[in-house]
Amino acid sequence: MKKLITRRDLLKKAAFMAVGGTVLLNRPVSAWAWAKGKDAKSKVILIRNRQLFAGEEQPDATIAAQMLDEAVCALTGKNTVKEAWASIIKPADIVGIKTNVWNKFPTPEIMNDILKERVLQTGVSEDNVNVNDRGVLKDPVFQKATALINVRPMRTHAWSGVGSCIKNYIMFSPQPSSYHDDSCASLATLYELPIVKNKTRLHVLVMFKPLFHHRTAQDASEEYMWKYSGLIVGFDPVAVDSVGLRIIQGKRNAFFQEDRPLNPPAKHIELADTRYHLGTADPAKIELVKLGWEEESFV
Amino acid sequence: MARIVYFFLLLVMSCSNLYALVQAKFSVDNLPEHFMSYHATDKMNYIGKELYDYINGGAELYLSYGLASMTGCKYIGDNDLPQVTVEIYEMTSSFNAFGVYTQSRDKEEQDYGQGSQSFPDFILFWKDRYFVIVNTMEVTSESEKAIKYLAGLIDKSIPETGKIPPITRCLPEEGLVSAGFLYFHHYIWLNAYFFIADYDIININEKTDAILAKYGDANARSYLLIVEYPDEKEAMEACEHLRKKYAPELSATNFIVELEDETWFTVWIQGNKLGAIFNGSSRKQTEKLFKDTINNM
Repeated sequence: MKKLITRRDLLKKAAFMAVGGTVLLNRPVSAWAWAKGKDAKSKVILIRNRQLFAGEEQPDATIAAQMLDEAVCALTGKNTVKEAWASIIKPADIVGIKTNVWNKFPTPEIMNDILKERVLQTGVSEDNVNVNDRGVLKDPVFQKATALINVRPMRTHAWSGVGSCIKNYIMFSPQPSSYHDDSCASLATLYELPIVKNKTRLHVLVMFKPLFHHRTAQDASEEYMWKYSGLIVGFDPVAVDSVGLRIIQGKRNAFFQEDRPLNPPAKHIELADTRYHLGTADPAKIELVKLGWEEESFV
Repeated sequence: MARIVYFFLLLVMSCSNLYALVQAKFSVDNLPEHFMSYHATDKMNYIGKELYDYINGGAELYLSYGLASMTGCKYIGDNDLPQVTVEIYEMTSSFNAFGVYTQSRDKEEQDYGQGSQSFPDFILFWKDRYFVIVNTMEVTSESEKAIKYLAGLIDKSIPETGKIPPITRCLPEEGLVSAGFLYFHHYIWLNAYFFIADYDIININEKTDAILAKYGDANARSYLLIVEYPDEKEAMEACEHLRKKYAPELSATNFIVELEDETWFTVWIQGNKLGAIFNGSSRKQTEKLFKDTINNM
């Protein structure tokens, strides 16, 4: 049964709950404490490097690779990149790297390349790994994939609030528009599709130069991007998105110098937790490991 | 009897055809094949939900305002000039074109149409039942001139002006944030400025006109919501539902209530209109905004 939430419900909970943070209120309140009783936390790595752009418009591929390597080691608790990837991908795996190709704001090509290279280094054969977005349903590698890696950049979205890791799987649906109802509230159910279910090994939310605002649905203006120079990496797409969302919200409030919520709110992230139990969106239940550059991290 | 029905149908059909003929319509043919150093490459025309093919989920914004069609054109320039794109969204009414415009504006200018916003890379405006976007992928002096030229041309090609929703007249002027209100009739936009509920708590639909407005400074911001229903009964039901779910302690004797975050709230109806104030900074401020609004309703 759907749990319907009003602002007042959240305020009432906040009056006697531990302080946390919410997707919906843009302020430190725990909105999910009543919905989950588990102690386990979702580990999320946020890594930033202020040298990523080094005065250039394009990110440095070597630094990007180092950032990913360091993040994956921290996430898996392994000492070497090889060990870390070996714990994620096996040589016999067939690996689909789900990217995002929207022409105005695609996944940086260097991230696709680095991820593919790391997968190949685990011993996966060249024929058994591919990068795709809109053609995933017709892609033989994705059709028989045993493992998926999800990589896309963070941006605001005119209907779902944000486009981030959870939403990136909409192309696994033969009819993406069937997920649009109620501002994409049910996006988490994409993870139940047979072509996806239990296959995702890693989520990488690219925060190199996120888009924190748009004027129209098709807008991706440089004016509303900033060089955050970060990556968010995790196993839990809801936790990864929740961290990314807090950063976007923090930037919006700082840029506009007022509380400027996403329009519409990215409620699919909250509902992925409270309604669909795909992961956790509650900051109090996320173990956020911050590496590298700290300044104006917004989390 | 059958003959009467037949003639009646003929009459209705001819009237609707006549309506279509007399209704001024922008045509993609109004867009130039060539201008300055630019050439049309890709003319676009999407009817209703076909817009998914162009912008997938983003199409829902326009569909929520009753999109009729989108026509547009992409232009490429000589000598690697940055691409310029025109998108002309024809909505079912001028109210809806105005509504989409209120979604997009951060400031209010009058350079094009009936309200516009200009940026170096981007011009958007509304006029009659059209919402127009002209943008360039990259700002150069040529591409900036190009988008201004096209915006001016399209503005002149739309012969009529459209009416603004009458519900906007309910908004008190004092304290209203510049370009700070939104017209809509889809519940998704209820949370545009401020999270209220994650579902349609007051039964907003295509038959209701709703307006959400920001009042006061950023550090003491209140939100005024006004919704006009088809009849008083629906307004009363929505008001009662909101009261029960949001502030059950609110009553005839306790008309403005303080919430847990020390903000103030009230909801009321007047005729077929519902009014509500969220996040009031004090009882006095909330009461004043209420009184000012009532006078306009």
